[in-house]
Formats: sequence, structure tokens, C-alpha cells
Amino acid sequence: MNNGLVASLNAIYQSAPEGWGTTLVNVCWGAWFGRVLMETGIASTLIRKTVELGGDKPIITVTLLNIVTAAIFTAMTGAGPVIAIGVIVLPILMSLGVPKAIAMFSFMESVAAGIYLNPVNFGQYRAFFMTTDEMTDFNLGWYARKWGFAAVVISVIVTTVLTAIFLKKAKSHSWAAQTRGTSVQQDAPLYTLILPIVPVVLNIAFDFSVIGGFVIAGFAALFLCGKMKGSFTENCQLVNKLYYDGVVDTAPLVGFLLTLPMFNTVANYASPYFTKVLGPVMPKSELVIVILFAVLLGLGLFRGPMTLVGCGAATLGVLRNVVSLSVPFMYCVFAIPTITVNIGSCITQSWVAWGLAYTKVESKEYLKLSIPCAYIAGVLLYVLTMITMSGLGAEWFL
Amino acid sequence: MNKERLKELAQPILKGLFGKQMPYHLRVKSEEDKPVVRPVGMIVEDLCQLPEEAWAKYAFSREPLNGKFTDGQRVELAAKASACGREWAERLAKEHGTRDTSDLAARMGMKVDYPLMPQNASRVLFAEFKEPDKIYIYMDGVKKGKVLLDEPGVREALGANFNISRLLLGHELFHRVEMQEKDLWTNTYQLDLWHIGPVHNRSKVFVLGEIAAMAFTQSLCGISWSPYVMDAFLVYGYTAEAASALYEEMMGFAGLTPRLPQDLLEE
Repeated sequence: MNNGLVASLNAIYQSAPEGWGTTLVNVCWGAWFGRVLMETGIASTLIRKTVELGGDKPIITVTLLNIVTAAIFTAMTGAGPVIAIGVIVLPILMSLGVPKAIAMFSFMESVAAGIYLNPVNFGQYRAFFMTTDEMTDFNLGWYARKWGFAAVVISVIVTTVLTAIFLKKAKSHSWAAQTRGTSVQQDAPLYTLILPIVPVVLNIAFDFSVIGGFVIAGFAALFLCGKMKGSFTENCQLVNKLYYDGVVDTAPLVGFLLTLPMFNTVANYASPYFTKVLGPVMPKSELVIVILFAVLLGLGLFRGPMTLVGCGAATLGVLRNVVSLSVPFMYCVFAIPTITVNIGSCITQSWVAWGLAYTKVESKEYLKLSIPCAYIAGVLLYVLTMITMSGLGAEWFL
Repeated sequence: MNKERLKELAQPILKGLFGKQMPYHLRVKSEEDKPVVRPVGMIVEDLCQLPEEAWAKYAFSREPLNGKFTDGQRVELAAKASACGREWAERLAKEHGTRDTSDLAARMGMKVDYPLMPQNASRVLFAEFKEPDKIYIYMDGVKKGKVLLDEPGVREALGANFNISRLLLGHELFHRVEMQEKDLWTNTYQLDLWHIGPVHNRSKVFVLGEIAAMAFTQSLCGISWSPYVMDAFLVYGYTAEAASALYEEMMGFAGLTPRLPQDLLEE
């Protein structure tokens, strides 16, 4: 067999998934931390205290809940935590008279907003562009200050304003039986409510290890909330259980992440052909690319060619071989359809699909609310990208 | 510290590190871990006997502001809300000359729809009122409930003439009343959440509207038991385990010990 062919196939099937190991460990620890926040009651206490602050004024409570949800999901990862928080937040919103489709829209878009600053997702998407060792200056701290914080703020504001507009239509009341008891969990101590953002703050402020942050904040949560009062064996079993549940939460994502690099590597091999065919017609200016991506945002839905967690990996493969653009600029250009459009607005996202079944909202009904949000937030985020990420110096190019 | 004490302290650590390991995912669930499934007849029979005040804690457990109340306040407020619901049931029945919730809905100009929306077990949606005048009675759960009516002990507990759809409709009708009558007690009662100097944040307590709606439909349908029984009964059509768990929760909130299936044999 031709050695070159074997080497190429090995690069696709072996080296490529192996190279994503560094990204994967962050996912697993993030999932464990998410489970810790649920087990200790910190996440549910945060939500309950937020509602007690806002009361019966839907728009005030929705605003506060959107901010808290976004803050929580800067650290929590995976479908399990989204569902665990969803079964608390969604009934609360619906009991305030918020129609089920609007409640679901508001919650899901807030989750997506938080993901803009989530170190696990940042590492995951960064790996599409380069290895961990390359361009170390492009870290979460730099990205957050330059673009990430503003992206979260824009996303939360757009979601909240649109929720307020949608809410003007009508209120609804429903009689439903909740079979999962969410209110029986004890409140976590008030001073522990800061722990969800500790890993992100440590990482952004001190460039401290993401996993280190999860371990410190996770064990602090377990000890401070009295979850480690059992025997040594019981405590070990609890940590074991949380890790098991967390990894199960992210299992489909792990499978996806370990398959996607094969696809990316194939795209690299195929790129010379794409370059010849598409090179002459591909836009080269940052402004034109931003306008083009803003117009085509809808193609981030249904795992289309704009989302990195869909066919977008191929688009990226073509684009970076045809056009010379800075990595941070490219990252933001692709993060918008991936996070706002795919994760927040698309019914193919696992937790959105769960939410549709849980709230009994029709897919069409959800998309009617989420697509306008995807376009409005998306366009504003592309404007932000042009302002803060265009025209970067040579050190930001690979 | 003597050798014995050192051994005593080290033993759990050594056992944890080197003892027989039982990873979480391989742990075989013991009989105690498995949910106890009761016959539906036993569930409704017990729940139908609960007095009105026994439902207060269960109802409030679904209230976002539940943490702001003591048990005494929950019972007191639930009683006031129920009285409000009953008063309006009588008022409307007199005004329209009927206690039939279908007739009442028609006379109140409501548009009632009966879609067959499949449900899942984690949240079973029975009925919905959309402002200003639409009511949806979701028939998937109703149909499953009708099948359960033939189970032993169910009709005896719920009554021979009991109609699930009409009960659900009555509950949603109260929300229409709540929307129209701004002076209703459930609309005017407010809880002081917090204040900074003269600035107060007062909030309506939504569960009071739900409790009143239950009393409203109970009064119109002429049943002796709380419509909250439907939470467990209709969920039983989807999953007997979840319904049994709800039964345990309801009995627990009422301060009673839930019966076990083997209790039926002993009786």
C-alpha cells in the first residue's frame, strides 16, 4: 500500500482525534463541575433567590433570570446542567404567566449567551483553528476583554428586549403536574453562590488553569455546602457519581468531538482543490466576509455550513486556505453562528429539543421567536467583530 | 495517639483506597432504591380523603416564592384563596344559571379547544388558558385518565359522575375570572419581598390563583376531594412510578405515611 496514503489515513483517523484529547479533558471537568453545582444546590438556590428578588413583574424577573442563567453557563457544560436548570427556570417563568414558547426562548438564548465566555467551549472552538501550543496569546482572558464580555452583554440584552416585546402579546396560565421535585432541595449558603463564576474569573484574571479552577471551586462547593460530611468512602463515591453523571451528560458531545477532527483533517487535504475552484470568487476583505456571514446566518441552523458544530468545519477549512485572516477575527466570525444560531436558536441542539418536549412547544413556534433573535444578535455581534477584531497585526496570523 | 486509634482513623481511608471497590455505574440498585409502585385505586382513595388544609404545602411547593412563607402562613393563605375560589364559583353559577363548566365557558364567551397533544412524563400538561379567551384541554392525558377510571377503587373514590375534561375546564375558567376581575383577593394580595427605605418590592403570589382555581372548579363540579388529586391520577396514565412518587410527596406534605401495595393484602 502507498505509504503516503497510509500516512494520510493515519493522520485522519488516528492523529486527528488524538490531538483533541486536550480539549476533551476540559469538557469532562466542566461537566463534573456542572454536576457539583447541581448536587450542592448552588445553581437552584441562585435561581430561587433571583426570583425572590424580582417577584411577579415578569420582565424584571426575566431580566434577572437571563443574567443569572448566562452567568451560570459561563462555567456549566453539557445537556445535563441545562436540563437541571431548565426544570427550575421554565416552570417559574410559566407560573409568572410567561407563555411557554417565550419562556423557553428566553432561557435557551440566555444559556447560549453564557457560552460566549465558557472556557470549555472557548477551548473547544479554538481547537478548530490551531493546536493548544500555537498562538498562546489568544487565550480566554484576551478574548474576553476584547470581545467575549461584550458578546455576552449584547446577547443577554437582545434576548431580554425581544422577550419583553413578545410578552406584550398575551399571558397564559397552565395546569401541569411536575413530576420532578425541584423545590425540595435545601438552599445553599449565600456565600457559595459566587462559586459558579470562580473558574472563569480565575482564568480570565490570572490566566489560571481551567481545570484547576473547576477543581478548586468544585471541592470548595462540596465542602462548604456540607456534601463531604460522610465517611471517606461515601465522599469518594459522591465524587465518583458526579464525575460519572457529568461525563454521561457530555457523552454525545465527546463522540462528536472525537469524530469531527477526522472531518477537519479531510477538509485540510481537500482544501487545495477548493482553493482552485472557490478561490477566485471567495471574498478577501474582512468587511465583505462579515457582511456575507451576517446575511447567511440562517445557514447556521440545522447544522448547516456556518456552524462549527455542523458542516461549518468544512467552510472554515476552505476559508482559511483561500483567505488570509487573523485567527481571533475568524474565531469570532464562526463563533456567532455556532453559539447564537446553532446552540441558542436551533431545534437540533440537544437541550433545545429537550425543552420543546418538556414545555410542549411546537418547533415552528420556537423558531419564530429564535430566528429573529439569531439575526438581530448576530448582526450586532458582527458589528462588534468589525470594531474590535478587524485589522489585527501580523502576530495574530498563523 | 496510640496504635489502635491510628488504625481506627486510617481504616476508612485504606478501605476507600484499597478495599472492595464499587463504582457508581456498576452499583446494583437494591430493592430499597427502586420506586414503589402503587395501584392507582390506592393512590386516589388516599388522596381523596385529604382535607383541604393538607394540600397547602404541596401547592406552595410549586410556588417560586415558597421560601418566603412559614407553614402557618401557607395554610392560612391557602384557606383564603380557596374561599375566594368558592365564592366566585357560586357567584358565576348564580349569574349564568348553570354549574356545568362547558355551559359556563360558552356563556362567558370562551373558545375551548381539545387538542390531542402527546405529553412526556417529566411535565404533564393538562390544560391551558391563553389570554384573553382561549382554553385548551389536552386530551392525551384525559384519554389516559378515562382508561384508569375503570381500575378497581377509582370510581368509588372519584365519584360516578366525575368528568375529567369539565374539571380541567373549570380550573381554567377561574383564570379568565382572575384576568377580568382585578379586585379579586388573589389579585390584590401582595407579599413584601424586600424594601430599601420607602421603596418596596411587593409581589403577587401566583399559587394563590391556582389554589383558588382548584376550589372554584371543585365547587362547580360538586366534588368532595381536591382537584390536586388529578396531578397524581393523570400522571399515572403516563408513568406509575412518577405518580407513586407524587403520591408519596403529597402524603408527606400532609404529614401522613403513604401506604404500600402490600398494605392492601393485609387489609
